[in-house]
Amino acid sequence: MILPVVVAVLAFVIGPTYNVATLSLTKIVMGQERGFGTLSNFSALTSDPVFWLVMKNTAIWILGGTLLCVCVGLGVGTFLAVDSKMTSVLRALILLPWVLPDVVTAMAWKWMLHGQVGIIGQTLESTGLTEEAISFLGDPDLVMWTLVVVLIWRKMPLVALILCAAIRSVPDDQMEAARMDGATAFERFRFVVIPNIAFSLTAVTVISMIWITAEFALPWIMTGGGPANASQIMATYIYQQSFEFFNWGVASAMSVINLVMLASIVGLYLYINRRSWASEASE
Amino acid sequence: MNESPRTLYWLGLSCVGLIIAIYILFPVFWLFLASFKTQAELAQLPISFWPEAPSLEAYKALFSPTHQKGQLLDWPRLIGNSFFIAITSTILVVFFGTLAGYAFARLSFPGRDLILGGLLISRMFQGAALLLPTYRLMSMIGLQDNPIGLVLLYSAFGLPFATWIIASSLREIPRELEESAMMDGASRIQSMVMVVLPLATPALITAAMWHFVGAWSEFAFASILLESNENKTVTIGLASFVELFTLEFQFVGAAATIVALPIMLVFFFGQRYFTRGLLAGAVKG
Repeated sequence: MILPVVVAVLAFVIGPTYNVATLSLTKIVMGQERGFGTLSNFSALTSDPVFWLVMKNTAIWILGGTLLCVCVGLGVGTFLAVDSKMTSVLRALILLPWVLPDVVTAMAWKWMLHGQVGIIGQTLESTGLTEEAISFLGDPDLVMWTLVVVLIWRKMPLVALILCAAIRSVPDDQMEAARMDGATAFERFRFVVIPNIAFSLTAVTVISMIWITAEFALPWIMTGGGPANASQIMATYIYQQSFEFFNWGVASAMSVINLVMLASIVGLYLYINRRSWASEASE
Repeated sequence: MNESPRTLYWLGLSCVGLIIAIYILFPVFWLFLASFKTQAELAQLPISFWPEAPSLEAYKALFSPTHQKGQLLDWPRLIGNSFFIAITSTILVVFFGTLAGYAFARLSFPGRDLILGGLLISRMFQGAALLLPTYRLMSMIGLQDNPIGLVLLYSAFGLPFATWIIASSLREIPRELEESAMMDGASRIQSMVMVVLPLATPALITAAMWHFVGAWSEFAFASILLESNENKTVTIGLASFVELFTLEFQFVGAAATIVALPIMLVFFFGQRYFTRGLLAGAVKG
């Protein structure tokens, strides 16, 4: 009964992974595969000036994105954990960015950030905060961080919801005891809530990292890696090299690097989870 | 005496709530408003918030035959393609996910936990890195530019999660129920279909909804595999507007509304299943 599932996963996940690994070690000349067992794709990649820019942007994307996602998510999650009619409505609503198609998200933000008629630039200009409307996606210095902001909009709700659930399950008597001892709201948060949700917090950080590493459609549709590669990240670069430039050697070398990165994050996740299982067993 | 800090507290709370609500809803709402505006209105400055004379022109244009010439796409057809792919793969995923989920929950065989764990981990390795080999695989087996190829691909990507949700829900259903049905002369399959599955319905709905939403929204693999205009899906159609219209956002707004609509409907009617799936999915990746 499990056979179809195992076959499907082997065929469409393990198979392609193996395939891209061998492809990265194969020399490709004019679309023809010539000779296996070479590292020329990797050396071509590292001598590509765009590669280091891509690595830097990917670091901003994954590390900056994850960090902000968790911080904003913790703030919003703490707020949502308050008991009221409003927060219960918000708890349901907040998932919306998470379920909307990437393409719709990308289009909505692309338009809001438009250099001439985008509402964000216009609002900033008319309130006098900036002298002229900023082209958020056209400015090489801003574009990467702008993408991170959109990424937060999309991915933060999940983090907020999980942390909200964790905060709500903090035992009442601990909070009460802290209050009796005269702890301020901040102290209660720091010394009672945080230790209680520490596991959820770590797990959600690593999971966000995995999801952000896999995210492709959002940056690709919003900027296509531009202007002048300023927002090129691994995912968009792999796509561009594979299907616009048909540079399969470089694309597969990059894919392998991406998979190794993913594997180390997944490994970290398993390691964290294993420790939690062990602690559950010993209790 | 005690009244004013309390009022202040609620006021502060409401303000933060309002800001979060606007932050979440505004981008979608803004695009939706654009679909009712006219070309001239969209290009004018300062920006007008509400459409001055709401019109359905953009929707009409999107669905009118004159708009399909050249590069523009046939929207009724795109919508049909997307529904076909999403629904067919959802049916496959729920069917095979139920079989496998049942096996994982009820039968014991060597390596069971290892295989289940492997499935969950495989789910984390789906992204840009697999685009190129998947493309090569599909052209090798001749399913490139064929909606069936996407149905198979999405099913394979969706199965591990569906299996996991269904297996964990089946595990909570007492074995005794099945055993007593079998004592009354039902076969294993009969007791599974008549006794166990009705109790597992919420999990099946959760799995189906999440899969439908994912398959309907998928962009990357659809964009590399579907080449001819008559095979494309709604997400590809919407994304193609990036180059086609620079300032004609009324079309983008209308198309985005059409793409978002089924998702919004599923979302609002299936709220509790969504949260369930999301929290379940988060714990196990």
